[in-house]
Amino acid sequence: MPAFIIRRLFYGLLVLWGVITVVFFIFTILPGDPARMMLGQRADQEAIEEIKKELGLNRSIWVQYALYLNDLSPISYHSKAESSATYYVESKYSGKTLFETQSSLWVVKPPYLRRSYQSQKKVASILLESLPETAVLAVAAVAFATLVGVLLGLLSALFQDSFLDRSLLLIATSGMALPSFFVGVLAAWLFGHLWADYTGLNMSGSLYEVDDLGRGEYINWSNLVLPAITLGVRPLSVILQLSRNSLLEVLSMDYVRTARAKGLSSRVVLFKHSLKNAMNPVVTAISGMFASLMAGAVFIEIIFSWKGIGWEIVNALEKYDLPIVMGAVLIIAVIFVSINILVDIIYGVLDPRVRV
Amino acid sequence: MSNKAILNIENLSISFGKKEEKQRVVDKLSFSIFPAKTLGIVGESGSGKSITSLCTMGLLHPSAIVESGSIIFQSNQFHETDLLSLNDRQMQKVRGKEIAMIFQEPMTSLNPVLKCGEQIAEAIRIHQKKNGKEAYKEVIRWFEEVKLPRPEEIYNSYPHQLSGGQKQRVMIAMAMCCEPQLLIADEPTTALDVTVQKQILKLIKQLQEKHGMAVIFITHDLGVVAEIADEVLVMQAGKKVESGSTQKIFTAAEHSYTKGLIACRPPMDYRLKRLPTVSDFLQMGDQTVEEYLKPLKISSKEREQQLEKVLNEKTLLKVDNLKTHFPIKKGVFRKTVGYVKAVDGVSFEVQKGEALGLVGESGCGKTTLGRSILNLIPPSSGEVIFEGTNIASLNSERLRKYRKEIQLIFQDPYSSLNPKMRIGAAILEPMQVHKVEKNDKIRKEKVIELMETVGLKADQFNRYPHEFSGGQRQRICIARALALSPKFIICDESVSALDVSVQAQVLNLLNDLKTQFGFTYIFISHDLSVVKYMSDRMIVMQNGKIVESGIAEEVYENPKQLYTQQLIESIPTIKLAEKV
Repeated sequence: MPAFIIRRLFYGLLVLWGVITVVFFIFTILPGDPARMMLGQRADQEAIEEIKKELGLNRSIWVQYALYLNDLSPISYHSKAESSATYYVESKYSGKTLFETQSSLWVVKPPYLRRSYQSQKKVASILLESLPETAVLAVAAVAFATLVGVLLGLLSALFQDSFLDRSLLLIATSGMALPSFFVGVLAAWLFGHLWADYTGLNMSGSLYEVDDLGRGEYINWSNLVLPAITLGVRPLSVILQLSRNSLLEVLSMDYVRTARAKGLSSRVVLFKHSLKNAMNPVVTAISGMFASLMAGAVFIEIIFSWKGIGWEIVNALEKYDLPIVMGAVLIIAVIFVSINILVDIIYGVLDPRVRV
Repeated sequence: MSNKAILNIENLSISFGKKEEKQRVVDKLSFSIFPAKTLGIVGESGSGKSITSLCTMGLLHPSAIVESGSIIFQSNQFHETDLLSLNDRQMQKVRGKEIAMIFQEPMTSLNPVLKCGEQIAEAIRIHQKKNGKEAYKEVIRWFEEVKLPRPEEIYNSYPHQLSGGQKQRVMIAMAMCCEPQLLIADEPTTALDVTVQKQILKLIKQLQEKHGMAVIFITHDLGVVAEIADEVLVMQAGKKVESGSTQKIFTAAEHSYTKGLIACRPPMDYRLKRLPTVSDFLQMGDQTVEEYLKPLKISSKEREQQLEKVLNEKTLLKVDNLKTHFPIKKGVFRKTVGYVKAVDGVSFEVQKGEALGLVGESGCGKTTLGRSILNLIPPSSGEVIFEGTNIASLNSERLRKYRKEIQLIFQDPYSSLNPKMRIGAAILEPMQVHKVEKNDKIRKEKVIELMETVGLKADQFNRYPHEFSGGQRQRICIARALALSPKFIICDESVSALDVSVQAQVLNLLNDLKTQFGFTYIFISHDLSVVKYMSDRMIVMQNGKIVESGIAEEVYENPKQLYTQQLIESIPTIKLAEKV
């Protein structure tokens, strides 16, 4: 198992390097001039040149690539000459010196994602602010979808072909067919506006709110309800169908017959002998969905003005704020890779045959 | 012997399906079994023997309907009771405790995600009201009783870490752990090698004598029944054909179906021109089996001439020091730490028109060898010389020409046909790929001709595989292999999945085709009797190496290696029948 995990980590790093490379070249080759975007249409040529120099945009693309990798790498090389592009500034990198020579030093640091073109704030700190919001929303949505989905799937399988089974399948099919922006708007309007007196929910709002009474920033959990449920509808439908079908298949297996032949009660047969076996495809589905939700649910975040990663990306794209977009894409890649490694480990726990 | 039957099935009828297309799978079946006796139920697939046992256990699929009958069981808890009248909660107390069952497939009958020991301990905890520690000791005791090595280790192992024979021992321990009055064994040894089968049969017999329980032993293999059963019940299409003591069934069978079942197995002591099939016997009339078989026997002189002719032919295929090794990779960098030597330095020759038999137990490398000859699994080293060309070293482009000359017929006729492809198209496809014949019209005519050759009808051209029985599907596979008019055919366990009577038909077909087209065969099987019947010379494989080879009869009659002797001794034989 440890060898297996180390190998997966190594592959994960390789994937990340690929993502960094692709992201870098796409956004560098993209038409559009960040310097001009930052200064507006009336900027003079001199100021534009100044900014280009500051951002290193006047160098060759390969040098830019190398500098970008150096900035992202947790261990990086820095020159001591102030004019150099790799000049070490503490406020920029906030790292620790590993060792130094006369003209250069090697540093351990958190990956430096550079600064926003717009606000000049560090990209890392902008994204770290919005990441928890997205994480809370994703976890809530997936938890809701998993709990309700597996439970309904179980019922559906146990009462196969009954009225209940058929209605649940119908609901699941519609849940998958409805686009999330439509469900989102509908839910916001119905529960946040029309019946707001009964539900006590807002049409939109973020996890952190600042009210006018001077209480400062506080967490408003009720704002989570609508976006989480709306976001969870589709995963729920998928999980319901998957767990139903998977359980039905497991129930027809030889070993379930063996378990019944032993004289076990149907409850033991179901929970001990069937459920664990049936969960493998469900885990795959959940992990995939969770990873993509962690990448920000753009529609839902916009509709409910939930200030998560998706919301941040859309904003940054509008303003051509490339460092934020690139940083967000990289963080999403890291999340995907880590979740995949985690899932492989979960497989090993669920199914001893995978542990090699 | 107590004269009260432990289980008495009376007039049992079971059917599947709704009114119009209702199919009766068990038809007015009656039989009894007495304490400490073994009843063998024999029949081909679909004869209703498994359904009867599942019905006794109360494990029938919900879509099955019990139309009539009673299953009277002498229960300790419920006294004399009709099992059909108990509800599921009451049946839970009978299942596992008073009636236990061993299933056919040890590979799939154990839960893959639970430890072996726990799967038995849970039954002990429920039925004997023991706590965890006592149950653990009990499991270890049973593991010792079924002769599993290192019981503590096996307790904590998962099923996939055990061999097939070990798994079946775990299943037996599971069935025995509450000392049931009745044990139902449904084809418990069918999926196992003959040597393992012999051990398992011995174990069941010992346990039965020690604990005095009644055993219902379900099998399609008459040899197994002859070894283990006191009484035999023969079933066909849901009906009882015949029943009586084992001695009587094998020496003086009344019904011709029974006679047919006994005779259609390839005989071990003499050679037949063709195997009699069950339908032959149904039409046999008053003739005795002996009279019927007499003209079919091949005298030793005829056999010698036959062999001489074959062995003087020129060599068609020569395999020289063939090795196929699979690397074992371990660690972070998947370093190769060793090799599984599936085929390890095998050399032999096949003459034109010869049938070469290849026997060995599972894992001996016989299937890998067959596939390596075709380069489906690239060999690691060695030469495969077919008509003077070393095909082991050819690239895939040049190899395609030879793929046409050498065809493979697989074991499982159910999974080797594409379920979404009409069978005519399936037979036609290789001809299109290899551009045999000018156009599809001529090809289609040839397909129909082939279908008729293998005993299918021309109007079945547009049917799908699921509409055919196992035997018919294997005929389709044979027709598909023949479509390219190959010179050489490798049959990899081609009849292992079939019933004995169907097996006889397919073997006869293969032999007919051999005389008609002059094919050369390699016949791979774990079943020594089939290999001996089909082949001129025979090779015995163990651990990737050839341990013995020679003329089929000589190998069988004078095995030189211990391994071959064990293989031959383990074959369950109808010793009673030979006294006729």
